[in-house]
Amino acid sequence: MTLKISSLTPLVRFLGVVAGLIVVASCGGGSSSVTTTTPPPTVNNSVDIAVNLGPSGDYADGLFTSVQVCAPGSTTNCVTVPYVLVDTGSSGLRLLSGALGSLSLPAVTDTSGNDVQECVQFISLAYIWGPVAQADIHLSGETASSAAIHIISESPQYAAPSSCLTLGTNGAVDYNSQSALGANGILGVGNLPTDCTSSCTSVGNCTTPCTSAANGIPYYYSCPNGDCQITSVPLSGVVPNPVALFSQDNNGVLISLPTIPAGGQATASGSLIFGIGTQSNNALGSAQIYATSAGEYFTTTYNGVSYSNSFIDSGSNALYFLDYATLGINDCADAPGFYCPGSTLSYNVTNSGINGTSGSVSFNIENADNLFNTGFAAFNDLGGDSGTSPATDYFDFGIPFFFGRNVFTGIEGKTAPNGVSAPNGYWAY
Amino acid sequence: MKTAFGVLLILTLAAAPAAAVLGEYESSVSLDQQYLRGEDRVTTNQGYKLHQITSPNGAVVSEYVSPEGKVFAVSWRAPFIPNLQQLLGSYTAQVQQATQAQTRRRGGPLVVRTSDFVFVNGGHMGSFHGSAYVPSLLPKNVSPEVVR
Repeated sequence: MTLKISSLTPLVRFLGVVAGLIVVASCGGGSSSVTTTTPPPTVNNSVDIAVNLGPSGDYADGLFTSVQVCAPGSTTNCVTVPYVLVDTGSSGLRLLSGALGSLSLPAVTDTSGNDVQECVQFISLAYIWGPVAQADIHLSGETASSAAIHIISESPQYAAPSSCLTLGTNGAVDYNSQSALGANGILGVGNLPTDCTSSCTSVGNCTTPCTSAANGIPYYYSCPNGDCQITSVPLSGVVPNPVALFSQDNNGVLISLPTIPAGGQATASGSLIFGIGTQSNNALGSAQIYATSAGEYFTTTYNGVSYSNSFIDSGSNALYFLDYATLGINDCADAPGFYCPGSTLSYNVTNSGINGTSGSVSFNIENADNLFNTGFAAFNDLGGDSGTSPATDYFDFGIPFFFGRNVFTGIEGKTAPNGVSAPNGYWAY
Repeated sequence: MKTAFGVLLILTLAAAPAAAVLGEYESSVSLDQQYLRGEDRVTTNQGYKLHQITSPNGAVVSEYVSPEGKVFAVSWRAPFIPNLQQLLGSYTAQVQQATQAQTRRRGGPLVVRTSDFVFVNGGHMGSFHGSAYVPSLLPKNVSPEVVR
């Protein structure tokens, strides 16, 4: 019964709108704004994605796509950048300066009119650094117009500021090159509407602390005297999740990758589909919604222990979970940081969202040295540690989790389907 | 140019004494508090003292102090990664080495386990967390599980 009622709801809403229009039409004397009842035009909302070795030829479980960027308003002054990493663990488009060729884009300026630079840190403690510019981003038939994008500068105009260099000026590891990044850029299509969203108190009402330097968030800088300081950026200059700027299909993404065999496959290809429940190709179907906590986490339970800092992330190239001691697995000899069990191990865990949903997930872990020796790029059984004991451990469901699943990433501040309350965004699979 | 160098030098000198916390005496915590411009809340627990420094920018840094007065662990939770060189002091070099070694891990957390230094940095954009401790400095009867 519940299902029937919910499936009727859109029809009821539609009838309501029509009834309202009839009233308007009768009041206005016949020339009603009929366009309001026309659904948005159906656009191509799907781009090809592939798991392959990437431009540097050594990336395991990296998910890539191509992105076209144009000077704002131009249809000819454009560049299509291949090998852009599809990352549901971050928000915003970041492209290597070299991948843009001769394309010239207008700079984003801070509230004092100075050009804005951005520094982004990775949990591996590497960083990327460079100017923020404006571009039209084209992904299939979808467009994010005049969007702020981050240019990863291969020859930075200014030295990265110390407040962003967490390991100090001498020890900092930068990813400002194709060989270090393993990609030509990052397409961040995660839960956050911008790369500096701190919280959404209600649907559509999110705060962006980078709009004021006084908040002291070390992301956006300007360097008027060559000395880069945290600066105040207008909201339009904060790098957005491009999907959130689309005029339709803007509430999240669906990543669809095929099932692959144990032990890996040379490559795998699938689709990145924009919108959730907005077109016939992105319906939730049997997927269950897991609403995230503030900070975009859910809880994974294994062996009776709950790990509340767990998440799903297409930008992680393995299943990073638990630790060597807890699991009794050895580190790899050739590829340190990955699990190298003597034989294939199977795990069953339970994920739960703050909306009360829960469900089990099963996966295998294979010896990573053996996997890497195949030379393949796509693995559903590649794992590594996330901590050193249950106090610090969590589950990071990276690319291996995505094979054979439809995985939805819902954007914070947008309405979730089926009336589910998900104020911080959600995943569904 | 001379002025610019002068300013740089002063900044470096001012930062130098503060860049020693993990493994140092408790007095270095106040330097962290200055650096983080945060409010320091001190609680006494079974076998150790905990300084929790909360900054207006959303960073929470915890420093665990043994009865001998030494900082045996630090942890952080913030919308960005705080200055770890500041928190880790002389242990920073071991983290730097690890960032160079684990090259095939992409987009994953950074975990360092050596005989006398344990480090984790995890999370994702906008929500980072991590911790570090020195096993040989752990007070008697205090489990590393308290560091989180």
